[in-house]
Amino acid sequence: MSLVNVFQLLVSGIAMGAIYTLTAKGLFITHLATHRLNFGQGDFLMVGAFASIGLLVAGVPAPLAALGVLVLMGVLGFLLERLAIRPLDRLGDRAGAYSWVLTTAGVALVLQNVIELVWGKSTQYAPPLFSATRDNVIVLFGVGIFIEEAAIILTAFLVVGAFYWFLFASRWGKAIYAVAFNPEAAALFGIDVRGVVTLVFILASLLAGISGVLVGPLVSVHPHMGLVFTIKALAVAAAGGFSNPLGILVGGLAFGVAEAFSNYWDSAFGDLYPLLFVMILLAFRPSGLFGERHADVR
Amino acid sequence: MIEVENLHVAIGSVSILHDVSFRLEPGRLVTVIGANGAGKTTLLRSLSNLVRPQRGEVRFDGRPVADLAPHLLARSGLVHVPQGRQIVPGLTVRDNLVIGADRIAGHSADTLREGLDREFARFPVLKERQHVLGGNLSGGEQQMLAVSRALMMRPKALLLDEPSLGLAPQVVAAILKALRRLADDGLAVLLVEQLALLALDTADEAHVLQRGRVILSGPAHELRRDRAVIESYLG
Repeated sequence: MSLVNVFQLLVSGIAMGAIYTLTAKGLFITHLATHRLNFGQGDFLMVGAFASIGLLVAGVPAPLAALGVLVLMGVLGFLLERLAIRPLDRLGDRAGAYSWVLTTAGVALVLQNVIELVWGKSTQYAPPLFSATRDNVIVLFGVGIFIEEAAIILTAFLVVGAFYWFLFASRWGKAIYAVAFNPEAAALFGIDVRGVVTLVFILASLLAGISGVLVGPLVSVHPHMGLVFTIKALAVAAAGGFSNPLGILVGGLAFGVAEAFSNYWDSAFGDLYPLLFVMILLAFRPSGLFGERHADVR
Repeated sequence: MIEVENLHVAIGSVSILHDVSFRLEPGRLVTVIGANGAGKTTLLRSLSNLVRPQRGEVRFDGRPVADLAPHLLARSGLVHVPQGRQIVPGLTVRDNLVIGADRIAGHSADTLREGLDREFARFPVLKERQHVLGGNLSGGEQQMLAVSRALMMRPKALLLDEPSLGLAPQVVAAILKALRRLADDGLAVLLVEQLALLALDTADEAHVLQRGRVILSGPAHELRRDRAVIESYLG
């Protein structure tokens, strides 16, 4: 294995890892504020990918297409909270503490079938976002890198940065922390807890949607691709420590890079090894790499 | 300002409050004292619309509190400092102070700055420690912060759930003194306490709660003199 190969695998791994990170951030943010998460997070990513393909193929310029996907995903996140989360909270104990697992997974099944109805079962390929063809290459330090991958890494990191700013510096981010700490107390000092819950589900959906737009040019897209992304995002979030945003970044990138290398060595079962690593890691460190027991990490 | 009328509250099948009635007017400091489990916290929680009564009604400014969600009630001037202070540990003192106040319609940047100056003057230690994370404050500092956070909301009525809990006596005295001054300046203050003697020394009016019933009401100084009351009901 040459140094050039290592570098190329590293770049591919970071590109996919950045996408896993974004997807897992969506799980993190709703888990932080509500201790609930969307078991269809990967399917939301799939919807984002298909919506993006649909718009791009129809000739919509990439930035406008991305904007369109964001609007759609915002609406989906809002509906998810209204249909799959809020009614259960209103039922209280009668619904059972983990009913949201079934309702969010149910929404995911509906989405899979709606997409299949529109696009069919066959695999789709997204047009490139940033360059003329999927395999345009730039040469960096004597190594050829796909422009798509480089641009996707850059965009994903920008989004992660914006997400951190929102969480740590904006008024709404502070409100999310207050609700995560104690929803009832947050209401007593004037925070609209329902509003914050709706907001985190919209954010999670937006993150899945952005991941979907970005992942399109890297992989083949089909209506049942979501589950694998849900599982990987869960693995990344668990490995990073569910409540630690920095841990998820490290976990996501490590997962993507590990996957790129294991696929290089074993093309048949390459996806298996990173998941095995996570299992072993969690056996020894159940709270993840950087996990802390309490929800607030600052 | 606050009218509580024939309040009956049950949580699940357990009845917590029976037929509780009282009023709270501006400029008055009213205390509700009682032993652990008497229903004091539940009383405050029903005033803030966190629990719904089986029967009876609470009105704030003439309007049933059941009409407003807890966060809107807080923004409209009925502010509740919950038990255990509930300072957000990962936010700075300053962020804890403004997090609720900057969500009130009509609170401009100037209103917030005035509020901060006022609270920093009330509790100078908060000014010194304004950039420290709430979780790194001492218990007493957290209680001052909890009171100041509530006052940042410009309340008309202030409800406090056992502010003395876990604090050194001189800190408790400082907090009670601040509450007394607030009532003298026209705020309606409802103080729920287990430390009956201190509460009676501070308050204008007191209600003794025992197993969910108000068994005794009167001017605080009269109840204070009645040693039998204190010994038999408060231990």
